[in-house]
Amino acid sequence: MAARPRPSTDEAREALREAMARLAAGDQTALEEIYRATRVKLFGICLRILGDRKEAEDALQDVYVNLWQRADRYDPARASPIAWLAAFARNRAIDRLRTGKVRGGSVPVEEAAPLPDESPLADALLVDAEQRAQIHKCLGALDDRTQGHIRAAFFEGMTYAQLAEAADVPLGTMKSWIRRGLQRLRACLEASEAA
Amino acid sequence: MSGPEDTMPEDGVTRDDPMIAAEWSLGLLEGEELLAARGKYATDPNFAWRKEWWDDWFAPLSDAMPGAEPGEHVWDGIAARITPQQGTPGIAGTAAPAGNVIALEARLRRWQWVAGLSSAAAALALVWSFVLAPSRVTTAPPPVEIAAAAPLVATVPIGETGLRLDVTYIPESERMVIAAIGLTPDGVHDHELWLVPTAGATPQSLGVVAPGEVHSMALPHAVAKQLGSGAQLVLTREPIGGKPEGKDAGPVVAKGAFSPV
Repeated sequence: MAARPRPSTDEAREALREAMARLAAGDQTALEEIYRATRVKLFGICLRILGDRKEAEDALQDVYVNLWQRADRYDPARASPIAWLAAFARNRAIDRLRTGKVRGGSVPVEEAAPLPDESPLADALLVDAEQRAQIHKCLGALDDRTQGHIRAAFFEGMTYAQLAEAADVPLGTMKSWIRRGLQRLRACLEASEAA
Repeated sequence: MSGPEDTMPEDGVTRDDPMIAAEWSLGLLEGEELLAARGKYATDPNFAWRKEWWDDWFAPLSDAMPGAEPGEHVWDGIAARITPQQGTPGIAGTAAPAGNVIALEARLRRWQWVAGLSSAAAALALVWSFVLAPSRVTTAPPPVEIAAAAPLVATVPIGETGLRLDVTYIPESERMVIAAIGLTPDGVHDHELWLVPTAGATPQSLGVVAPGEVHSMALPHAVAKQLGSGAQLVLTREPIGGKPEGKDAGPVVAKGAFSPV
């Protein structure tokens, strides 16, 4: 998190945004550029959710092929390109998990680790700092239990049923806990937008 | 609609659309709820906006996931799957930007068409790219191929009533989800849904619509393989139980067409 500031961060972010625009216009070379810049982060996400290297690689392929086919879906006015790509990758990985092709489970830490330092854009690929601070603040305002379950859903790709089983509570109870948490999270995030 | 635990009065939480969007964004939904949410995303701009709102907010959490380097073959696979566009006019940078847009549209149309193929055809396309990729074929690129399951959706507005049928088709599982929320049974009629694969083709019955319910059905493979983008859906009014054997179908009350999400 406390990454050394690099002068190239803004440029890298801008380069990515520009590559996304070229991609939407049908420029195939833009895809390779985007792949080189974002593969490490997006693969990390797929691996975390799917817990299997082979599956995560298949998912990653789908992510970029899908991106190529539907680049026009990205609205530069809306989200930062990396935030959008991260959500896109996670959504594809979750889809894969839910269509029953994978048994799922989180990645053992050792397997997820080795990240070569050859990726100069890594720092630039952190999502907007202000936004990051806000979501952590709003999540942090929830009670520990609820926060833990919401995090487990996000990071491990767990369903209500899996969370309920893990916590050994009835399904309805887990749903109530999480929904109450999401309701408060929404209020907190909306308040920050209005401010 | 919702199960008993979804409407627990004492839990004090209304499960409105923004809530469902949050649940979906987190990845909590599965089964029919997931399919229904996908269908709603395609047909309801407010819901789509809210889903993306949650996605944007949750995205920074992924910064805590450690990065990892994928195998080198991953890019080769991607490249093999996206390169069939040579020969498409305007792609090679020879044309004006307008030409690129036209080429892009052509590519999209072709993809939309391909996206409608059955999973068997998609599997075949996968085999193609698998066979062709390692040898870096320069002459005959593999056909455009779809990435995983791109759902198809159709919205069938029912007259001027404001009611509608949301139909979502998931090619991968050959399942279709039909949401007829707002329709109420009149006790005299049923509505039967028909698939018209291409203009002029014989309609195939997809069955009687259950009013007020979200209904998921597996499609027979023979039907599924005809279901592509642009396929028409027609809703007819029939006696209870659907069109009687040997009789003509009842009046058409609504129509819609499939397009990719």
